Amino acid sequence: MEQDFDVLVVGAGHAGTEAAVAAARLGATVGLITSALETIGQMSCNPAIGGVAKGTVVREVDALGGIMGRATDLSTLQFRMLNRGKGPAVWSPRAQCDRGLYRRAARSLLERHDNLQTIQGTVARLLMDGDSVRGVETLEGRRFGAKCVVITTGTFLRGRMHIGTTTQIPGGRAGDAATTHLAEQLENAGLQVARFKTGTPPRIDGRTVDFSSLAIQESEIDRFDYSWSHFWTTPRVSNGVARHPAQLPCWITHLGAAGKEIITRNIAQSAMYGGAIASRGPRYCPSVEDKIVKFPAAATHQLFLEPEGHDTAELYVNGLSTSLPAPVQLEILRSIPGLERVRMNRAGYAIEYDYYPPTQLDQTLQVKTVPGLFFAGQINGTTGYEEAAGQGLVAGANAALRAQQRDPLVLGRETSYIGVLVDDLVTRGVDEPYRLFTSRSEFRLTVRQDNALQRLSSIATRLGLYSEEEQTIAERRVGEVRDAISMAENSSIRPEQADPVLLAAGGTALKHAMRISEVAKRNGVALAELFSATGIATDLAPESVLSAELEIKYAGYFERERTHADRMSRMGEMKLEPDLPYEEMTMLSFESRQKLAGIRPRTLAQASRIPGVNPSDLQNLLIEVERWRRGPASS
Amino acid sequence: MTESPRRSLTQGDTIVALATPPGRGAIAVIRLSGQDAPRIAARHLSPWPIEPRVATLCEISDGYGGRMEQALVTWFPAPNSYTGETVIEISTHGGDLTPALVIEQLVASGARPAEPGEFTRRAVLNGKMDLLQAEAVADLIDAPSRAMRDAAVRQLDGGLSRRVLDLRAAMLEIEALLAYDIDFPEEDDGPVPRERVLRAIDSALASLDQLLATVPRGELIRSGAVVVIAGEPNVGKSSLFNALIGRSRAIVTEIPGTTRDAIEAVIDGDRWPLRLVDTAGIRDATDVVERLGVELSQRHIQGAHVVLACGDSSESIAHVRESVSRLGASAAVISARTKSDLSVGAADAGAAGAVLVSATTGAGLRELLARIDGELSKLYGAGDGDTPVVTRSRHRAILAAARAELTGFREGWLAGVLPATVAAVHLRSAVHSLEELIGSVDVEDVLDRVFSSFCVGK
Repeated sequence: MEQDFDVLVVGAGHAGTEAAVAAARLGATVGLITSALETIGQMSCNPAIGGVAKGTVVREVDALGGIMGRATDLSTLQFRMLNRGKGPAVWSPRAQCDRGLYRRAARSLLERHDNLQTIQGTVARLLMDGDSVRGVETLEGRRFGAKCVVITTGTFLRGRMHIGTTTQIPGGRAGDAATTHLAEQLENAGLQVARFKTGTPPRIDGRTVDFSSLAIQESEIDRFDYSWSHFWTTPRVSNGVARHPAQLPCWITHLGAAGKEIITRNIAQSAMYGGAIASRGPRYCPSVEDKIVKFPAAATHQLFLEPEGHDTAELYVNGLSTSLPAPVQLEILRSIPGLERVRMNRAGYAIEYDYYPPTQLDQTLQVKTVPGLFFAGQINGTTGYEEAAGQGLVAGANAALRAQQRDPLVLGRETSYIGVLVDDLVTRGVDEPYRLFTSRSEFRLTVRQDNALQRLSSIATRLGLYSEEEQTIAERRVGEVRDAISMAENSSIRPEQADPVLLAAGGTALKHAMRISEVAKRNGVALAELFSATGIATDLAPESVLSAELEIKYAGYFERERTHADRMSRMGEMKLEPDLPYEEMTMLSFESRQKLAGIRPRTLAQASRIPGVNPSDLQNLLIEVERWRRGPASS
Repeated sequence: MTESPRRSLTQGDTIVALATPPGRGAIAVIRLSGQDAPRIAARHLSPWPIEPRVATLCEISDGYGGRMEQALVTWFPAPNSYTGETVIEISTHGGDLTPALVIEQLVASGARPAEPGEFTRRAVLNGKMDLLQAEAVADLIDAPSRAMRDAAVRQLDGGLSRRVLDLRAAMLEIEALLAYDIDFPEEDDGPVPRERVLRAIDSALASLDQLLATVPRGELIRSGAVVVIAGEPNVGKSSLFNALIGRSRAIVTEIPGTTRDAIEAVIDGDRWPLRLVDTAGIRDATDVVERLGVELSQRHIQGAHVVLACGDSSESIAHVRESVSRLGASAAVISARTKSDLSVGAADAGAAGAVLVSATTGAGLRELLARIDGELSKLYGAGDGDTPVVTRSRHRAILAAARAELTGFREGWLAGVLPATVAAVHLRSAVHSLEELIGSVDVEDVLDRVFSSFCVGK
């Protein structure tokens, strides 16, 4: 054994890097193994971080000490707050990144941890000790020991790329080889495996695009940072250098009748429609072929041309994911307004890959049948950098906690989208690549992008994920929300101060001075503007003021969600033994028995979320469990 | 047909019970349900096997060659049976003894006596019936009237289930619109117009209102219409009561004030059960016990759906009508001129519009029942025979709670003051309270609808 670690992480994408950092922050010795150190933190697909629900996950990862938000802040070249028109309760940050800058930022953030070592190598097999994992061996013949191993191999396990019906290339990402040895071993270990597919659009040479006819989408970067961690310590502009790189615009064009006709004519040559691919892809991220076939009535489909970085003119054609043959892709591209003379740098492709149905995992993302082995990211049937990062953090932290023989970290659904994500994966499983939506959460009002630190910093502190300095900052930031609320409740605003704000929001003027908290309840009135009109609380972070505003405006609604959260966590306290004889519980429907026996929920709350287990089953389950506890021998 | 996982529930034990009411009767039906039913039945029935779903005359033996009984036997192989399991129904001669002996033999051969409601529970567990239908079965079994039974049968047909499915679709549509609105801000179709959400809310509200509108009728069908017979002492109220129920139950006497307490009987009306209440005569009673009876009758009148103002003269009818209206009752009042066989004097034919009835000859009784039905129909709707009716107070409470939430949602949405995530709190509460009726609305159902309605995928 060349070296022994507490935790070994296999793969250094968005799941792997977060797993390694979380474990390192908890004080574990960590080895991060990847086939190519240069591709640490590579964005394989759309160069954007965030979006609806996903942006909140980035905040959560950041609040728990992760690197995604920090790397994004260092590489953002285009920013939009999605849903801005729908009120701050729904705001969703989304940043386009410079791919190269992001990679470098991620790698340097990893290297800040002395107890984290990066290793180049391709893992050939897991070293086992009975049922438990005890290390890995690489193709190069290097052997590393570990108490826990986190696998985050993304689409690399038996990845197969398709372009058209005849071109199939084994690989995990354009330009990178697939991993087959590990896949075989995992399958031999009795793990159930399945296939998903996803796709990516062509990328084009921006120097050959005629932008004059295209709609421009400017960056909205305006005092936005994903990460709270450097907000206080690093001024936005320091020594004349802004921390965010220069901003670049995106461009909007569309696929019209000509492009639709080309696709229709060539549909049989598409890998997906020509029969080369049978596995299921995500419905929310369809190929352009899917869009044309399923929504023939739509006259046009909008396309976003997104910059790949400052050091290249390459553009990502968002909305044009396809597996048609490359010549057809070029023909389509040239039918698009502004792209008449475009050159295609890289063709789009579809990729099929192995995933392991995540109901084989427990709430810590550990494989139930292989102690010490954790899975995170696309290997669990998810999509998205953010979903991968959230899982990486949970798996990495739990791997370290297990190595240290400490209690596991399980985030409840009421605490975070990460909690929803992990619970959905291990309780419900997936039948298409899983992506987070706000609809998946019961708590989309109280779990928001602005209050991630409030929700999670106490957990991070308790576990020891923060440095001393970070802990001080986090406490201060959490205190700010309380301060902002009490300032709003205890200060009043005069008509001449409030009226410009109120009238701009389409409201009516004040008759006399009023408490700020009362005025802030009005529709469309921002607490931040009332504060600045009165000249108080100007040093508070924008997120803190926003959180305070929402607490004031929607107090009654927040209360309802919190009541529901309390109920859920009470149900979460009702533990279920892992060895319950569900097969013998004749008071339950057969379907429930099967589902419960398969998932083996840890709590009644988790049991309640298993599809097919209905409320009447839960009551009967309680009776059966009680009966079993009183006399396991007799049942 | 492929083996559905639910079918394996038949691996549970086999149960047996008498399916018809115990006691005297021409036939008794014994039901045997479970995987082992054929094996158990074969020990006692000959010939066996018999053709599925065809009633066959069989000899029943005690399993050792001793002949016990002849019976008609019908075999329903799983899953096409009431419970979804293999079911064998054995029709024996009625009475207490014969069926009990047969059941005893079947139990000796491995069947277990069923618990109350266990056949229906198995039907629900095996997906043969939804809960609404199961409740309808319970109602059917103890339906006190033809009307109640009709309503129960309509529910069993899935009439209510179908309406409830419409409601479910309406709720799902709103959820999907909000999900799209929040989760997909940059798509081809653009944002959802506020009016479209409003239309979806209105459609859900209309669905709820349709169901809620049947509540009063449902209660009438379930609990019966209270028909109070009121009048001065000695005008023949109890005789009328008895004539209506067709048998003597109250003490009928010439002495004023004998019926001290109210007496109630349920008769089978056309559309709903009628709960006839015979009351003490309305008059200023001095006797303490009798006064109690009078107060009781006043309370009955206040809670009545229909009051029959009885009298043997136009004055006495007018007097009763006046007393009833003084009590502030909301009931429909029908005048009944009693003892029409005794005094059909032209001068005193009764108050205008009064029904002439005779408890002695039965004259006018049918007309009186028709009038009662007519008044109730005016108040509660005649029902078109296929309008499903909400007969459970729990369902009514659920619908009302959901309605309140949707109304809150609508107001906030209309005023434009509620962001989608906030408005959705109302929606989710509504869906949650309806869950028992419409089944759970899963996020996958919502997403399915989003993806089939909108071309997403920036």
